[in-house]
Amino acid sequence: MAEALFYLLGAGSVLFAVGVVRARMPLFSVLSLLGTFFCLAAIYLLMGFPFLAATQLLVYAGAIMVLFLFVIMLLNLGNEAELERHAGLSLSGRRLLVAGTSAALLGLVGLAAADVDSAFAADTLPKERALDDLPTLARLLFSRYMLPFEAASLLLLATMVAVIVLAKRQRERPGASGPTAREPALREELVESGVER
Amino acid sequence: MSVPTDHVLALAAILFALGVLGFLVRKNVIIVLASIELMLNAANLSFLAASRHWSQSALAGQGDANVGPIFAIFVILVAAAEAAVGLALVIALYRLKKTVALDTVAELRG
Repeated sequence: MAEALFYLLGAGSVLFAVGVVRARMPLFSVLSLLGTFFCLAAIYLLMGFPFLAATQLLVYAGAIMVLFLFVIMLLNLGNEAELERHAGLSLSGRRLLVAGTSAALLGLVGLAAADVDSAFAADTLPKERALDDLPTLARLLFSRYMLPFEAASLLLLATMVAVIVLAKRQRERPGASGPTAREPALREELVESGVER
Repeated sequence: MSVPTDHVLALAAILFALGVLGFLVRKNVIIVLASIELMLNAANLSFLAASRHWSQSALAGQGDANVGPIFAIFVILVAAAEAAVGLALVIALYRLKKTVALDTVAELRG
């Protein structure tokens, strides 16, 4: 049962991955990627990594995908006319396709969860526990992997600053051409925001 | 689940190859970023396959099965940071060029 489910999910993830590469519009590509993430989360469940399956769904499918879709909407890359031309399906047809695919993916993840549940009940999982049990992982993360953990926090801080700098709209300042001309304005701004007085 | 580790690794290899293909062939920045995410996921799958391999009864104790999930967590973290910076770059690029096609960006004459 679990083996058949694994090969089904593997085939599904490969099909969705082909969709990511072949899609004509970024919107379809990103939605295919979402399908791959769901299939992989179910595979992680089957392999005995329930925490990573949950992380996969929360961080990848929840956060990163929303970021992708948000940028697509922000830049208006999936406009309605082009969607009509490429999709080859009516609105209700597309709705049916999306609803069917989502239901199938949810069903597969549910089946994988049920399978893992029965494996736990029958004590057939190695060492009678998940392979990524949280107490062990947490202890390792705060002892042997302390340095990578701190480096990761630094990386996230740097990312946050970089994203704000990159995505902020540059304001046009009349008369401020060189760095010397801009300096008083910068200082004014810093004083205003309370960083410097 | 008694699927051999080889098969899981083969699946990871196929997904990684598809990611490389998309990264090299496609011109749309967002599809290129999606391909990178695909490659990172394939790497994660192979980490977890190795972890499962080391934890299975005949091999238990020979390797550290906990390294796989920890590396997978770090990979997910790096993927999140990469996606955020990449998409901010896409927004900056779009503001500059009004397009997200990579072949229009040749300022560095690469």
